[in-house]
Amino acid sequence: MISRKLQYVIAALTVAIFVLCFYLVHLKRKAESMGDEPVPQAMTAPISGPAEEITLYVANDEDASLLPVSVSSAMPLDPGERGRIVIHTLITRYLRNDSPHPLGAGADVHDVYLLDPASAVVNLNAAFADSHRSGVEVEQLTVFSIVRTLKAQFPGLSRVRFLIEGKTRETLAGHIDISGWLDVAMVADASGELK
Amino acid sequence: MLRAESIFVRVATLLLFLLAVGLAAETRRVVVYAPKTNYQLDILVRDGVDYLGLTDLLEPLGHVESRLEDNKLKLSFNGGEAEFQDGKRQYRVRANARLDLAANFLLVNGRGYVPVVSVTQLLSRIAVQPAEFHDGSCRLFIGSTKISYSAELRHDPSRLVLSFPAPVKPSTLVEKGRVHLLFHREPVVSSGADKVSYGDSFLLSTSFAEIPGGAEFIATVQQPATVSIGDGGRTVIISPATQPPSAPGTVPAPTASPAAQPHSPVPRPRPFVILDAAHGGSETGSVFSPTLIEKEINLMLARQLQKELESRGISVVLTRVADNPLTGDQRAIAANTSHSSLYIAIHSSASGHGVRVYTSMVPALQPRQTRRSFLPWELAQSPHLDQSRIAASAIAAECAYRGLPVRSSAAPLRPLNNVTIAAVAVEVAPLGASADELAAPEFQQRIAATLATSIASLRGKLGAAQ
Ligand SMILES: [Zn+2]
Repeated sequence: MISRKLQYVIAALTVAIFVLCFYLVHLKRKAESMGDEPVPQAMTAPISGPAEEITLYVANDEDASLLPVSVSSAMPLDPGERGRIVIHTLITRYLRNDSPHPLGAGADVHDVYLLDPASAVVNLNAAFADSHRSGVEVEQLTVFSIVRTLKAQFPGLSRVRFLIEGKTRETLAGHIDISGWLDVAMVADASGELK
Repeated sequence: MLRAESIFVRVATLLLFLLAVGLAAETRRVVVYAPKTNYQLDILVRDGVDYLGLTDLLEPLGHVESRLEDNKLKLSFNGGEAEFQDGKRQYRVRANARLDLAANFLLVNGRGYVPVVSVTQLLSRIAVQPAEFHDGSCRLFIGSTKISYSAELRHDPSRLVLSFPAPVKPSTLVEKGRVHLLFHREPVVSSGADKVSYGDSFLLSTSFAEIPGGAEFIATVQQPATVSIGDGGRTVIISPATQPPSAPGTVPAPTASPAAQPHSPVPRPRPFVILDAAHGGSETGSVFSPTLIEKEINLMLARQLQKELESRGISVVLTRVADNPLTGDQRAIAANTSHSSLYIAIHSSASGHGVRVYTSMVPALQPRQTRRSFLPWELAQSPHLDQSRIAASAIAAECAYRGLPVRSSAAPLRPLNNVTIAAVAVEVAPLGASADELAAPEFQQRIAATLATSIASLRGKLGAAQ
């Protein structure tokens, strides 16, 4: 006969195994739902600062050009927040009625994280990707326009990665691969070839 | 010590039991092939009888309404009426026709269940559709959905040609002495004789059997064999691996165990170019209008280009000839094993005008790396980037010469990074304002002729896959 004490031990062990199994499954799901890069927490930063000249690389579907445009915007000091504001300003421009490269309604950027001076992660919202037009050139123009705009803001930037709602996606809208890091120098070379 | 061992034994036994219960509880399913749709239904077992949910069965076939009155289920399907009673075999259909189920009707949580074996009778009465249930494979065929094949042994060289009235895409497994074709997607059924002896020097015999959820065709062969699929999936050819095996214009079907195929001493005829109509299946690419979908335009363009190339004496293979989905990796593997010299992915777009030519955005080979260095899959294109750029410039030059707007650039576009031959992607956009132009024969012919001329100019300039 097994003592009562032993029965408690067995019951406790069985429960522990199940709890651990569920925890393991939970961890696995969580790991799958995140990109393989840690997403740092957004830092609190002043919402606005003095107005500055910023450069946006604006895409034009008609001739597939990517041209620098200077605009003035109030800019905070925090680098991540600066990144978010330039990309938000760029997207706002694409959402205008006279946009040379229209994006879908509701498209926006949640955050831009600078992991180190050379690596930036751009976390876009679901509407940005879900409503994006599908095509090699249209998707390429969007991605290159964001990468080059960030490069203009952060000259030391060498690679950029995209997340949609905090998660890695294979492609922006069926074509351009955004599952990994994009090399900023190669993007600059390739967009030079564009126009 | 003893106590710890006994704990382990008990815990292990408990876990094994739970695992066994889990496995035993794995639901069996019936695969339903209907004229417009295929679906699967879970089997519910009660008192040793297999049951199917009545509304789950009928809903994909038409308009179903059901209402519960006490222990009766009244059902209307496409205007016809039927009435079932919980725990009773007898049911009523339309005007007072009374019929019997093979076992009692079941009501579980307000949902009606009928015995699987009675489903054919039920469908013929309620849905007025002939139906056939195959017990061995748990497949239900509604209407004339079954696909039966014909098999013919042809000679010089010996090869078995299987012809199907509709496209099929079997999984193939080639092992020593046997070739297996597994049909899990299509409703393939026996064509009469399930076992046929040929006694040929290549083909000894064939057999056909239904297996759970599908069917399996096995050819017993006396020589190493290969499988190729042609005519848009309507023809499957099993031929000796040492003979030219392919149906014209197709890539060999990917096999589950390529390593099991012995090395063939005689090389296959080498195509010069592999054309990859991008997208396919549920992955549609761009949708220009309800009737104009990128995956279809891409395939039309690929076919037109194939014709133009073949008329110039250039041999071509296609990654897909039907509306089937392929992953980027599958496309790259098809290119890398095709022994071609050039891979061209074909896309179409309603944005902008003319032709865009893309090469991989992969880093060029570092000076210390050699072509023979081991490279990760993501960098497989690196050693071939120069050749890809030669191909891209040739295409761009011909487009410009013929007055087509053209641009070329590098792009992070799958599967270009993973291809180990010269590789480019082409995106074609209309010249005018309307996307309808993409489907116009004159437009497609103009694009195809331009691409074909530039590809022809690349002969002798590109190396083949190693
Ligand atoms: Zn496409």
